[in-house]
Amino acid sequence: MAVSARIEELKSEALAAVAASDSTAALEDLRVRYLGRSAELTEIKKSIGSLPAEERKEVGRSANLASREIEETIEEQRAGIALAEREERLRAEAVDVTLPGVAFPKGNLHPSQRIIDDVVDFFVGLGYRVAEGPEVETDYYNFTALGIPPGHPARTMQDTFFVDEGLVLRTQTSPMQIRTMLSQEPPVYVVCPGRTYRRDSDPTHTPMFHQIEGLAVDRGLTLGHLKGTLAAMARHVFGEDVKIRLRPSYFQFTEPSVELDVSCFICGGDDPGCKVCKGAGWLEMLGAGMVDPGVLEEVGYDPEEYTGYAFGMGPDRMAMVKYGIPDLRLFFEGDLRFLRQF
Amino acid sequence: MRVPLGWLHEYLDFDLGVEELVDLFSLRSQEIDGVYRLGVREGEVVVGEVVDFGPHPNADRLFVAKVDLGGREVQIVAGAPNPYPGARVPVVLPGSVMDDGSKLKKAKLRGLESYGMMMSERELGVSADHGGILLLDESYEVGRPIADYFPVGETVIDVDITPNRPDLWGMIGVARELAAILKTDYRIPETSLETGGEPTTAYGLRVEAEDLCPRYDLRRVSNLAPGRRAPLWMRRRIHAAGMRPINAVVDATNYVMLETGQPIHAFDSAKVRDGIVVRRARPNESIKLLDGSTRTLDEEVLVIADEERGLVIAGVMGAEEAEVGEETEDALIEVATFEGRNILGTSQRLGLRTDASGRFERGLDPNMVDFALGRVVGLLTQQPGGLAADDVLSHYPEPVGPWRVPLRLERAELLLGMPVSADEAAGRLQALGCEVRREDGRLEATVPTFRRDLRREADLIEEVGRLVGLDKVPEALPAVSQPGGLTEEQRRARLLRRLLASLGLAEAITYPFGPDRWIESLDPDGDGGPEATVRVKNPLSAEGRNLRTSLLPGLLDAAARNRAFGAEGGGLFELGHVFAADAPPEDLLDAALRFRLAGELDGEEETRLLGVREETRIGVVLAGTVRPAGWNVPAVRAGFFEAKGLVERLVPGATFVRHARPFLHPGRSAAVRAGGKEVGWVGELHPEVVERFELGGWPVAAFELDPLSCQPDPEPRFVPFVNVPAVDRDLAVLVEEQVPVGDMLSSIERLRSPLLVEARVFDVYAGSQVPEGEKSVAFGFTFQGERTLTDEEVGEEVGRIAVRLEEEFGARVRG
Repeated sequence: MAVSARIEELKSEALAAVAASDSTAALEDLRVRYLGRSAELTEIKKSIGSLPAEERKEVGRSANLASREIEETIEEQRAGIALAEREERLRAEAVDVTLPGVAFPKGNLHPSQRIIDDVVDFFVGLGYRVAEGPEVETDYYNFTALGIPPGHPARTMQDTFFVDEGLVLRTQTSPMQIRTMLSQEPPVYVVCPGRTYRRDSDPTHTPMFHQIEGLAVDRGLTLGHLKGTLAAMARHVFGEDVKIRLRPSYFQFTEPSVELDVSCFICGGDDPGCKVCKGAGWLEMLGAGMVDPGVLEEVGYDPEEYTGYAFGMGPDRMAMVKYGIPDLRLFFEGDLRFLRQF
Repeated sequence: MRVPLGWLHEYLDFDLGVEELVDLFSLRSQEIDGVYRLGVREGEVVVGEVVDFGPHPNADRLFVAKVDLGGREVQIVAGAPNPYPGARVPVVLPGSVMDDGSKLKKAKLRGLESYGMMMSERELGVSADHGGILLLDESYEVGRPIADYFPVGETVIDVDITPNRPDLWGMIGVARELAAILKTDYRIPETSLETGGEPTTAYGLRVEAEDLCPRYDLRRVSNLAPGRRAPLWMRRRIHAAGMRPINAVVDATNYVMLETGQPIHAFDSAKVRDGIVVRRARPNESIKLLDGSTRTLDEEVLVIADEERGLVIAGVMGAEEAEVGEETEDALIEVATFEGRNILGTSQRLGLRTDASGRFERGLDPNMVDFALGRVVGLLTQQPGGLAADDVLSHYPEPVGPWRVPLRLERAELLLGMPVSADEAAGRLQALGCEVRREDGRLEATVPTFRRDLRREADLIEEVGRLVGLDKVPEALPAVSQPGGLTEEQRRARLLRRLLASLGLAEAITYPFGPDRWIESLDPDGDGGPEATVRVKNPLSAEGRNLRTSLLPGLLDAAARNRAFGAEGGGLFELGHVFAADAPPEDLLDAALRFRLAGELDGEEETRLLGVREETRIGVVLAGTVRPAGWNVPAVRAGFFEAKGLVERLVPGATFVRHARPFLHPGRSAAVRAGGKEVGWVGELHPEVVERFELGGWPVAAFELDPLSCQPDPEPRFVPFVNVPAVDRDLAVLVEEQVPVGDMLSSIERLRSPLLVEARVFDVYAGSQVPEGEKSVAFGFTFQGERTLTDEEVGEEVGRIAVRLEEEFGARVRG
């Protein structure tokens, strides 16, 4: 048989086999069989040199053409099969997308701490620093330096835990204001967050609770600065739409003293049955005032040169309002059913 | 202080709705705690005369009355049996709105029409008495509205009075305040009295404890008619103000107290022997009080006595001995001022707070005595027969006069942040009772003695500011000239908390005080030396008398609580303070007290004087199943290495040394060291401790660290790297079981191989194929050089490591 005819035959045979193949592995086998080192076509190519000169060109050409055609057909077929195989694989790899994902841990920050962090961040942004201090505090810093000497009626408002003679669990974070003023000259802009303690336990009082107090002493500070600062803080914590109002009040270490109400951000004051503000439209939020000149004198500041304001708020209560928590006692039980919600 | 608005209207005219009044008073003066309604809100109550009264035919406990309302007769069904034909009764007509907001309708009760209702004292808001229908005397004209005699409804506002304002503990003070707010006038009741009674001087008055009693006045009222009740209008007001009517004399004293804020005491003259003595109690003197209790007193307690025995704990409560009663015909009326702090102390020590002590403890104005005494004696003489003595016994050795306080307008503007005119300021202060002198931009207020809180310029500025209105103060922000920010420590604490939360733990905040169990339970063998615990002297209960020396017990209690409520486990952390007793040395005890009480350091270090060492710690407890299994991932249970992994994340470069603490598993615990010192501990809990904290059966691991040693986000530093392929190679060796793998890793590290990038432990195994008493440790190494490493170079490094491990630990390379 003429070599050329054999080439054609091999080609047809190969093309038919390729067309019939259904996997990349089978295709690879065909390639080896028809195009590999020991394939017949390869042998033919190797033997061209021994052919008569007039046949060499023709046989060489058709052998090459045949190889190329087989090669191309294999590639074509491979591409088709690969596509089908990949689709098949993708079909097989499908998962139930409604199954839960692998859980990455979600931890929790205590709700009071969330408020504290938020409030602290606000004041830091205004240029305040943060002062923390001991929870076992001296009688002097906790009371006397704040204008509450022994026997003063205001001491009864703060049922105190005593630790030793002249040592108490601080009833307020105000001692840090005194410590701060004693340690530096004005201007002072500082917030003091921390735990405080009073001998009180009922559904709305726990013997430990948090306070955040703030203090500013500088030249020319007014009640207006206090009001503007607290209004901005209330908006930061409770939302841009809240309104504030000041009411007169009494604290031993401020004069004038005020209390700050925040408009109820739940009902906006429109719902007489509102559970959060009880229909009042206002929520009592914090106590504040202009620092009493006596307190400034006590720490060696000249009250004629400097004025200041101070404020104190309860982040626990703020968290109750903000997150809708009904009972203060939940805060300090370490109950995961509670903590896991924040 | 409960303020009945009808009463307030007697002193000033105002036209405000209740809500407006509440808002206005809250924004200008004192907070209003609540609003109460008594009696009939709106509608008609008339005097009726019972024509016929008998049992209801269809009901055992009901009665039916025919009542003449003045020209017309109606049928009323009643629940009380006390009316009788001829009795005059108040009848509220259908359509009226009662105190609870309900509307009274014509009704059919058990088949009988009932037109309106006959009213008890409580229903009328006259008293708490609901025992029967109020029976009126002949002076009430049938058919006339009751309102012609006394108000049938009352609105009461409850004012929360700040401690600096004792002047508001009386109706007159409230009226003065409201008048100042409204810029209007107020009136005070005039007193008139019948004199000619028995002389007060029949009794003596001796004030021995002058320091505790700045003023004491006594006046006698005689010829009182026994068995009389106070007039209805008075009882009604006393009731509305929240007190209980008792008898004619006591009610008059309480009424004037409510009116003026000045407590008043009345003695039955017949029971007083010789005279009144104001003295300190004798040691162990005992007194039987009106509330039935017997109290033992000491010399800090001021008593009002006669020449024989104590009659009253001054300013607090009377004894049974000389009290006035229904039968009293002759009374000595005491109006006095006591030293506020002494009354406060007595009331606290005895646990007795009364309407009187609450007022005295704030410090009252001695000049109020004259008006109050005149007023109460006047009211008593308005009763049939009552005659006031012509004389008053008075002890008032150092009369208090008004004082002057200057006010600079520019200072007011500075504090308030808004300008205040001289007219405005002067007007406001005058409305409060000050006399004001003006002199070029400067005011000087002469402050009345009933405003003891107004001593300084700032006090006056507050008054002006609040009366003008704090809503007028403009909002501003100060120009802060310092950079704010968190300190490095604060920033780190914040990151630490956030990191632990990101790792899946829940932040807890627990009480720092706990029971003795906290100390005992952490020491299972009972032979450890617990750190000296700081005690709370007056805990709420023994459960809270020890300040924590570690965050651990509080977190363990929380874990136990979670378990009791069905949790499978979890991880908790807390950043908080711990406390240790650190008593100052003997020779510094006095200095310590001076520091604690007066803030004097005398050149000493505060820490030496304080007596308590307080430190911040970060604590973690992992208990039970820390992370539940998912459908495709196994659960994570608490264990030493889970806790240790967290510590390693928090304290880069920490080393761990086996270290026994009594509450930890001796074989699964370690001291954590960093920067050359011990910074905390980590471990599984001792099984005994697990039991004692009611966590038995759960794996529990914990750690506690000094937060300053933690670097949740260490400062990064760039290290150059090369783009040359790294080579991984494993090495398994056999060593004796007790050889610490960590030591082997450190030893490899100390080789300082220039090619070794990382060394890991990927398997530790003992059992079959491994000789008894030995373990197989498999290391994985990553090598990398400046250029691609050859097998020979890597093999050489692994060989060096193997030799080092053999030399130091007797390790044999596994085939």
